[in-house]
Amino acid sequence: MQLLKLIDLAAARSGDKNDVCNIGVLAKTPDAYQILKKHLSADVVKKHFGSLITGEVVRYEWDSIEALNFVCHGALDGGASRSMRMDTLGKNFSSHLLRLELTIPD
Amino acid sequence: MSVVRIAGAQGFYGDSPMAAIAIAAQQGADFLVHDALAELTLSILQKDRLADPNMGYARDLETLAKFLIPIAHQNGIRIVTNSGGLNPESAAQKVAAILKQQGITNFKIATITGDDLLSQLPQLQQNGHQLSHLDTGKPFAENKYPPTHANVYIGAQSVADALNQGANLILAGRVADPCLTLGILVHKFGWKLTGNLSQPDLDRLASGIAIGHLLECGGQASGGNSYAEWPMDYPVSNLGYPIAHVSEDGSAVFTKLDSEGGKVSRNTLREQLVYEIHNPAHYITPDVTVDLTQIQLTELAPNHVQVSGAKGKPRPNELKLAIGLHEGFITEQFFFFSWPYAYDKCTRFIEAVNEIWARLPIRIERKEFTIVGVNGIHPGAAPTPPPDVLNQLNELGVRLAIKHSDANTGKIAMQAITCLGLNGPPGIVSMPTWGKVNRVILSLWPTLIPRSAVQETVQIWEV
Repeated sequence: MQLLKLIDLAAARSGDKNDVCNIGVLAKTPDAYQILKKHLSADVVKKHFGSLITGEVVRYEWDSIEALNFVCHGALDGGASRSMRMDTLGKNFSSHLLRLELTIPD
Repeated sequence: MSVVRIAGAQGFYGDSPMAAIAIAAQQGADFLVHDALAELTLSILQKDRLADPNMGYARDLETLAKFLIPIAHQNGIRIVTNSGGLNPESAAQKVAAILKQQGITNFKIATITGDDLLSQLPQLQQNGHQLSHLDTGKPFAENKYPPTHANVYIGAQSVADALNQGANLILAGRVADPCLTLGILVHKFGWKLTGNLSQPDLDRLASGIAIGHLLECGGQASGGNSYAEWPMDYPVSNLGYPIAHVSEDGSAVFTKLDSEGGKVSRNTLREQLVYEIHNPAHYITPDVTVDLTQIQLTELAPNHVQVSGAKGKPRPNELKLAIGLHEGFITEQFFFFSWPYAYDKCTRFIEAVNEIWARLPIRIERKEFTIVGVNGIHPGAAPTPPPDVLNQLNELGVRLAIKHSDANTGKIAMQAITCLGLNGPPGIVSMPTWGKVNRVILSLWPTLIPRSAVQETVQIWEV
């Protein structure tokens, strides 16, 4: 078992479109991208966000820029203009995702 | 091969004009693109227009007219923006007046209108358009809130037309962000935008959209808001905004002014590429649907990155119409407590607030309490340390937020808890100017509408 911290493997940027938040995860190296492709699933991401994301999380692979794009539905408390949260635009979904730790089996 | 230089000169309504002024003064671009319309901006502009029928455009246009446009015009640089918002005509008159005061002549302003369908909503429904919600499928007739704005995302054609007519400044309404840039490229290179398009035609349009997408958030493509370049080892107080040197084939080299801060790297561009994108193989715009998955970002030299490889698919048959709805109000406030017992004092304070509000004859539809320093930004997801650890912190804050439909409720609720300053847990620090009373809650009703229901108009205003 190996414990890998996402913040060591990737950068991230998140943004809003109504009640959908997308998180682009940018691997720091081609090797890191392969690890992320294998282990950073939509399910892992959804679980990490707990009640912050109420809908489905869809993952898109973006090989040419070594990125994964997570499209999180029902993520912004109804959308920025309705949200009662501090971070109405979901700019820190990126930050919270970077806190994630991946457990990699040997 | 001919090249046109386009700068992403503004990323949002309220952005600093300094980067654009530097680019104009150093003749670093041929065109400046100013994007002013985020999803919510039109609702803000509608409030302005209700208060004064001559308003409804992005007010920072007045600053640009005083300090940027004269320099840009002197250097032969043209400006394309959607800052016209809900009232491009009034914006044109205001800008024209400011330019005249400065002795500027031989200047053409073009307005682009036709995206604002608010007044036509009843007629559209009578004509059989259900305006069904894009996600839920519900017809608009079932909506129970008053609409605040209704704007359709329009494409690049009118931008190209206005530039073909010699416009020095384009003041558009809801032209989709990347289409501002595409319009410049269609004008400059004569790219085919409509009709029977070949795959190379579509790929060129897709490249234009990709370039426009990379430019539309200004400094976010040149090292701002960056985890990819963290710890951001370059100046950010004078961040240079991105400039795309675009060739006729649709490839581009992104750079910035040497004199300014920031950075243009493969990292800063891929970080912007993913921003607000859903399916990267199917990025829908009014003019072309774009596959961004084969895009290549190549660093040629420091601060010089080549972008190529976007692929195009035919544009959608319908256009997206976003209707804003007034759903009520949010009122929020912040309070802080220090060591000792900072966490326990926060929870005790929240308990007292709940008890006071329960006794008031007001209707609070929803309330949220978070503790700043613990779960203010990520409620429900942030890991929470145990209370004995939290009680050792020097300070923690409480954020209260309530949703209400009556405009007085927020004031009454916040007034009722001020007594806790003397009656509540010891040592409260209040931050009254941090909170907001009656922030309007808007929900967006996205729908699709046939292109035939939208009539765009380009009008030229001579200064």
